[in-house]
Amino acid sequence: MTDTATLKRTREGTAASLELTHALTQTLYREARLLDTENYADWAEMLAEDLHYHMPGIETRYRRDKTEQVTDLTRMAYYNDSKPEILKRLSRLETGTAWSEDPATRYTHIITNVEVELTEKADEFRVYSNFYAYRNRNERDEDSLVGNRIDIWRQVGHAFQLVKRRAILKHNVMLSKNLNIYI
Amino acid sequence: MRIERIGREPDYSRYMDLKEGWLDRRIFSDADIYEEELYRIFARSWLFVAHESQIPSSGDFLTTHMGEDAVIVARQPDGSIRVMLNSCPHRGNKVCFADAGNTRRFVCNYHGWAFDTAGDLKGMHEEYCYDAGDIDFKNHGLKNVAKVGNYKGLVFATFNSDAPSLEAWLGDFRWYLDMILDNEEGGTEFIGGCIKSVISANWKFGVENFIGDAYHAGWTHDSGARSMNNGQPFPPIDMQNSYHASMNGHGWEFGTEGVGDLVLLGRPKVMDYYNKIRPKMAERLGEMRSKIFGSVASASIFPNVSFLPGISTFRQWQPKGPMQFELKTWVIVNKAMPDDIKEEVTKGVMQTFGPGGTFEMDDGENWENCTTVNRGVVTRHERLHYRCGIGREIEHDTLPGIVYRGQYNDANQRGFYQRWLDMMTHDEFGKMPARPEPRLGNVAETRDLPGLFAL
Repeated sequence: MTDTATLKRTREGTAASLELTHALTQTLYREARLLDTENYADWAEMLAEDLHYHMPGIETRYRRDKTEQVTDLTRMAYYNDSKPEILKRLSRLETGTAWSEDPATRYTHIITNVEVELTEKADEFRVYSNFYAYRNRNERDEDSLVGNRIDIWRQVGHAFQLVKRRAILKHNVMLSKNLNIYI
Repeated sequence: MRIERIGREPDYSRYMDLKEGWLDRRIFSDADIYEEELYRIFARSWLFVAHESQIPSSGDFLTTHMGEDAVIVARQPDGSIRVMLNSCPHRGNKVCFADAGNTRRFVCNYHGWAFDTAGDLKGMHEEYCYDAGDIDFKNHGLKNVAKVGNYKGLVFATFNSDAPSLEAWLGDFRWYLDMILDNEEGGTEFIGGCIKSVISANWKFGVENFIGDAYHAGWTHDSGARSMNNGQPFPPIDMQNSYHASMNGHGWEFGTEGVGDLVLLGRPKVMDYYNKIRPKMAERLGEMRSKIFGSVASASIFPNVSFLPGISTFRQWQPKGPMQFELKTWVIVNKAMPDDIKEEVTKGVMQTFGPGGTFEMDDGENWENCTTVNRGVVTRHERLHYRCGIGREIEHDTLPGIVYRGQYNDANQRGFYQRWLDMMTHDEFGKMPARPEPRLGNVAETRDLPGLFAL
C-alpha cells in the first residue's frame, strides 16, 4: 500500500529524463514538420486510436467568474474531436474540390517551451509546449495563431502516439477567416 | 429615440434594379454607403442581441453590438431583459469588458461611476465632488434602447421608438421561424460559449449567402459534403418541390425532402432523433412544416442573423466597417433533447460550420475575394447578376411570403436587397411597403393557424 502511494507521489508530475525529454521534443518537431508540409497521412499515423483533440473557444470573463471555459467539453470548441472525426475533416482535402486550399496555404509551426512529465501510467507522458502557427496564402493573407498545448503522448515501441491534446488559442475573436490548420 | 443624420442623401435606387435583377458593386465596399447603413438599417431595425437561455438568472449579462454600437444585455431581478449602451455617460468609457457573466453593478474603470443591471446610476467614486444641482442621477444612467422583444427565446432590441412590434417586424416569417424555435415542446437553448471570427468581407455577403444561395452549396461545398457524407456529393435538388420564400427582407430557402441538412451534419444519431420526433412535429406545426424541417435549407432574419435549420448553426454577421465583419457562431438545440444529442449536434456544427468546419472554410475565402475585387475603380462600376429564377414566382396555398419555385434562385437575395433599399430610402418607417402583405395578421401563435396553413 505505502509503495503505491509513494510511487504516485514520485511519478505523477515528475520531470522526465533527459533522454525521454529529447525523444518527445523531437516527436513534437517531427509532428510540426508533417503539418507544415501537409503530410496528413503520416501525421494521422502519429494519432492514437483513442485520441481526444480539443481546442476550446475562450470568452473574455472577469476574474471572479469561475465558469470553466477550458475543460468543460459541453461548451463551444473549435475542435472537440476523436480520431475518426479528425480523419473526416482531413478527408475534405482528398476530394480535389477543397477550393480554398488551392493554391495551397503556406504554414510554419514553431513549437517551444517543451516540458515533459511522467504520469501515473508508465507508458504515457504529459508534454507541455507553446505554439506559434503562422499562415500565409495567396498574395497577402496572413495570420498568427499563438497559444499553449497540454498533451498526453503514449510510447508505442520506439515511437510515440498522441492520446490527448488541449490547444489553448489566445484569441477571443479569432483574428482570421477560418482555421484550416491543426496545431 | 430619433437618429438624426446630416449629410448627403444619394438616390440609392440607382444602385440596383431588382426587377431586372442586377446590383451595383459599390454597395459592398463604399464607406459612405456603409456609414448610412449603420444609421438607416442598424439603428432602425430590430436586431438580434441574445438567446434568453444565455442569461437565465437575475444579474446574468452578455455584451454584444447593435450595428457598431456596443451594448449590454442584462437579466433583471423581475425576469425581464434590458439592453443598454455599454458606454458611461460621463466620458463614454466602456463599463463592461466581459463577453458574459453575472453581476450586481457595472462600474466604469475611469471614475468609478456605478450602474445597476437596469443601467440606473447608483453612485460613483468621491461622490462629494458633485455639488447639489451638478448631476441628476435619474438622467445619467446607461442609455437604454427604445424597445426589447422576445420571440420564442430569441431576444431582439431596437434603437427605434417608431419601430413596429417585434411580431409585426418578423411578420409571416414567424411561420418559418417556428420550425427551429418551436418544433418540439420546451423550445430551444444555445450551447454555452460563442465562437467569433473575423472575415474581411462586407456583411451583406454572409446574409445573402444564407438567405437564398442554395446554388453555391453543391459547388463551393462539394468537398465539405463529401467529407461529412461518406464521399457522397451534395444531396440532389428537386426544383419542383423546393422554394424561396421572402418576407420584408427575411428569407428561407428550402426543400421538402426533410433530410438534406441533417445528412450534411454528418451525425446519424441526430437524424434518428428528428425522425423519431417528426410525427409529433407534424401534429404541432402541420405536415408541410414537418417536411421542410431538416431539408436542404438556409435562412436569414433581416438584417444580419442567419441559421441552418437541421444543421443548427446560428450566427450573426456584425458589421465592422465596409470591408469587414465579425462572425459570431452559436449552436441552437431543443431544450428537450437528451445531453448526448445536444453534444452530437454541437460537434456536428463545429465540424461543418465552425471556423475549422469542412463547409465554413470555403465560404470566407469567397466572400473576402468578392469584397476586395469589387472595390477596383473600374470593376466597381460593373453590375452583378441577380436574375436567377426571376420568372418563377408562384402563388402557394400553404407557404406565406413572396414564393418562388426551385431553391436554386436569387429571389430571396432580391427580397433582401429590396428591403435594404426600402430602408435606405424611407425616412418614415410606417411608409415602407409591406413585401408582401402579411397573411398571418395578428395571429399570435402559428400553431393555431386556420386551415389555410395546414397542408
